[in-house]
Amino acid sequence: MTIRNAIRDHGQRYRPRMACLKKAEKVVLEMQDPKTGVKSQPQRLVITTIPHAITGEDIIAWLAGRFQIDTQEARNFGSMLVALGYIYPLQDHKRLVIKPDASLYRFQTPYFWPTQQWPVEDTDYAIYLAKRNIRKKGILELHEQEHYNRLHKWMNHKWDFIVMQAKEQYRAAKERKKPDRVVFECQERAYWVVHRPPPGTVSAMDYGLDRRIDPNTVETKTPDFYERIMIFTQQSIMRPRVKSSVSIGALVKYCATYKNHDPFLLKCLPSNPWLTDDATYWTLNMPNVEIPTKMRVERWTFSFGELLSDPRGRNDFRLFLKKEFSGENLAFWESCEDLKWGTAATMREKAEQIYKTFLARGAPRWINIDGKTMEVTVKGLKHPHRYVLDAAQTHIYMLMKKDSYGRYMKSPVFKETTKKAICPEEHKFSDNQLEQNARNRRPSLSPIILRQMEEEQKAKMAANVDITQLCRFTTPVPHLAVYSGISDFPSATASPSLPFLAHTPACPSPISVALDSTSASERRVEASEGEGEGNPAARGPVGGNVSRSRMALSLRRLLKRGCTPSTMFASLSPKCHSAAGTSSRIQPISPNQPSQAPPRRIANFFQIKVDIPPECRIYPIESEDEEEENRAASRGGVGAKEIICPWESLTPQNGTG
Amino acid sequence: IPGPLCYSLLLLVVACYRHLASCVGGCTDSLQLRDELRQTREKAQKLAMAICQHLTLHLRDKSLPEEQRKEMELLWVAFSSSLELLHLDMCKVFNMSDIFSLANTDALVQTGLQGSEVAARALSLPDLNQTQSPTLPAGLESQERSTLEQEIGQIDHMIDDMEMKVNVLRWMVEPHGPQYADPLSSTDSASLAVFSVDEEQPGHQPLCQRNKFCAVLFLFAVVLVAGFISVSMVLFSGVCF
Repeated sequence: MTIRNAIRDHGQRYRPRMACLKKAEKVVLEMQDPKTGVKSQPQRLVITTIPHAITGEDIIAWLAGRFQIDTQEARNFGSMLVALGYIYPLQDHKRLVIKPDASLYRFQTPYFWPTQQWPVEDTDYAIYLAKRNIRKKGILELHEQEHYNRLHKWMNHKWDFIVMQAKEQYRAAKERKKPDRVVFECQERAYWVVHRPPPGTVSAMDYGLDRRIDPNTVETKTPDFYERIMIFTQQSIMRPRVKSSVSIGALVKYCATYKNHDPFLLKCLPSNPWLTDDATYWTLNMPNVEIPTKMRVERWTFSFGELLSDPRGRNDFRLFLKKEFSGENLAFWESCEDLKWGTAATMREKAEQIYKTFLARGAPRWINIDGKTMEVTVKGLKHPHRYVLDAAQTHIYMLMKKDSYGRYMKSPVFKETTKKAICPEEHKFSDNQLEQNARNRRPSLSPIILRQMEEEQKAKMAANVDITQLCRFTTPVPHLAVYSGISDFPSATASPSLPFLAHTPACPSPISVALDSTSASERRVEASEGEGEGNPAARGPVGGNVSRSRMALSLRRLLKRGCTPSTMFASLSPKCHSAAGTSSRIQPISPNQPSQAPPRRIANFFQIKVDIPPECRIYPIESEDEEEENRAASRGGVGAKEIICPWESLTPQNGTG
Repeated sequence: IPGPLCYSLLLLVVACYRHLASCVGGCTDSLQLRDELRQTREKAQKLAMAICQHLTLHLRDKSLPEEQRKEMELLWVAFSSSLELLHLDMCKVFNMSDIFSLANTDALVQTGLQGSEVAARALSLPDLNQTQSPTLPAGLESQERSTLEQEIGQIDHMIDDMEMKVNVLRWMVEPHGPQYADPLSSTDSASLAVFSVDEEQPGHQPLCQRNKFCAVLFLFAVVLVAGFISVSMVLFSGVCF
C-alpha cells in the first residue's frame, strides 16, 4: 500500500502505540447503538433542537451495567472516554470529565477520533484558530494566542494558505444548516480541547517519548530480524536466575512494606494533589522542609537507601554523623555521586579533589577503606573516569549501612525527629471547592530557581560542616603548626589499619612520591615501631630526618585512626602549599627540606605538646579551597610537600614505591 | 486557466471535502455522502493536475522575472500545502470507510448531525439523483475502495513529483496576507455568536447579557422616574402659583 503519512517526517519520530484507543473505540460503538446503547435525547437550544445528546448519569449507568462495575469506576472510565476525545461535553467544554448528573454529552464524529496513524497537524490547528478569529476577533485565549503567534512564526511561508483555507472552510460551513453548523463547531472545538489542552492540564494524549520505529508497520521477516530474536533469546537464557520462592518472597516483602505508602492503594494525606488540585501535600514534603511528615520518617526506617535518597533524611543523617564525627563517610559518598553524575569536563578536578580530601594518606577527611579497595581505587585514579570510585563508594556505603544506620535509628536525634513529625489532617473537599481548586491552580517554582536554591544550600553546607568537623581549634594561619589533639580517640581497633599498613610496602602508594625517597624498608621499620605504641605523646623523634618524623607521625596517626580518621591530621596536609612559602612549580622532592620551614610555633591551647615539624599544619577546607585556587593557579597542582595525585606527571625520581 | 483563480477553486474544493469527510462514519453517512465525496475528490484532482502543470511549467522556466517567480513560489507553497491536506483527508476517509461500512447502519455513530445537505452545494453541482438503491451491493464498496486507493496514490505521486521537479526554498517565501484573517461580514459572526451563547447554558455570557439588560432597564426606570418627578414639580409649581 502506498498510502503514506502526508507529512514527510524524516526525523524518525513515531508516536508509541496507544492500545487503549482501539478498545475505547469498541466501547463507544457499543454505546452509541440506538437500540442497546445509551439512550439519547434531544438538546434544546433557543432556536433549534439537536438530537443525540446523552446525559452523564446515563453514561455512567450504562457503563456500570455493561461491565458490571461500581459507579465510581464507571465514572472514571467515562471520564477517560471523554479525556480521549470520543465523547465531548456540551456544557463546560473545557473540563474533560463525566459529571454524574444531567449535564449533556455527545459522541464525537469518527473523523475527529484520536488515531495512531496520523499525528495531529499544526497546520490544522492554525487553520482552526484563524477560523475562530474570523468568527469573532479577540476570542482566542491566552495560550491559543501564544500558539497562534508561534505558528505564524514557524509556518510563515504557508500563512497565506492558512488564512485563505480558514476563510474557505468558514464559507463552506455556512452552507450547512444551522444545527449542523453548531454541531460541527462543537465537534471541532472538542477535538482541539483534547489535542491542544491549555498548559498545566493533564492530557490523556500525553504519551512520553517518541519511538524510533513506526509501531504501525509490519515488520518483515528478514534474516536480520531473526538474528535479533536469536540474540535476545540467548541473552535471556544466560541471565542469572533466582528461585521463584526467593523472588516472590522479595516481592511480597516489598509490597507489605510499601503498601501503606502507595498513593494508588491508600489515600495520601492530606490529599492527592493530582485529584484535588490542592498542593499542600507537595509543600509539606518539600526536600528541605523543617518538619517532615510521619509517613516520610517511616520510609526512612525501611532501608538505608530510602534514608539517603530523601534529602531531608540525608540532612538528618548528616547531622547525626557530624555528632559522631564520622561525617566524612557521607561526604565521600556524596562526592562520589557528584562525580558519577556530573559533567565530563569537571570529572578530572573532582576526582583529584576527592582523592586529596578523602583518600590520600594524611588527607584531612580520610575515610577508612580496606587496603585492597584502596589499591584498586588509587590505581584507577591514574586514569580517572566516572566510575573509578565505585568500589570505594560501595565499601563506604556498606559501612554506613551496617554501622551508622543502625545507630542512627536508635539515636535520640532520630527519636526526636519521629516525635516531631507531623501527620496532616485529611482534606474533605466538596465538589464546589474542587472546582475552585481547579481554577486556582498555580505553577510551581521554576526549576531554575530550585536549582539555585540547591546550589546555595550546597555551598552553605560545604562552608559549615567542615570547620566543626575537622578541628575545633583550627586557625587559618598557614604557618602555624597545629595538631588537633582532640581527645576522643575512640579506642578503636588498631587491627583494621594494620592490614592496611602491611600492604603499603607492597603497593605503590602515590604518597610515597611525596615522601620521596623513604624506602619501603624504612617504612616497614617504622610501621613495626608504630604498632606497639598507643600513646601519641610517647613518640620520640624517629631520627632527625624531618621526612622520617613526618612519616612516623603519619603512621602513628594512621594507627590511631580506627573509626574516626577525621579527628586526626597527618603532617601531610594536602595543602601544604606554603611549605615555607615555596611558590615555584615542581620542586624536586628531597628529604632535606626543613630548612625552608618557618620557625615553628606551637599554640598553647593544644592538649598535647609534640615536637612537630613545621610542615604539619591543618587547614579547614574552606581556606584550603580558596588557597588551593591560588596555588593551583600558580603551580599547576604539584607542590613540594603535597600529596601528589598518582595521575599527575612527575619528575623521574619519583618512581619509587 | 489562470493560476490564482484555479487555486482558490481548489481551496474551496478542499474545504468542502473536509466538511464532507467529517460526516463519514456518523449518522448522516450514506451512499449519497460517499458519492459526493467521490465527486469532490475528482474535481479536486482535476484542478490539482491543472495547477500542477501550470506551476511546474512556469517554475522550471529559468527566464522568469523575479516578482513573477516570487508569486509562483508563493502559489507553489500554498498548493503543496493544500495537496497535503487533501491527501490527509483522503487517507482518513479511506481508513474510516474500512471501519464504517454502509451495510451496517447501526454502527454509524450518532453524532447529532441531521442534514443531508452538506457542503456539496458549494460545488454548485447538480443534485444527485436519488434513484440509487438504499442497500449497497458489496462489489461497489470494494470498487470504491480500490479507486480511492488509486487516487491517494496519484496524489502521493504528484506531491513527490513536485518535490523532485522544482526546488522551492520554503523559508525564502514570504506571505502577503495579514496574520489574522479578517472577519468576512459582521452579520454572519453575530448570528453565530448567538449560537455560542445558547450552547453554554451555565456559561458566563448569558449572565452578562442578562446583567446588561437589567442595567439598561434600571437606567430607563430611573430616567422615567426623574421625568415623572420633574413633570409633577412643574405641575405643582403651576398649581401653587
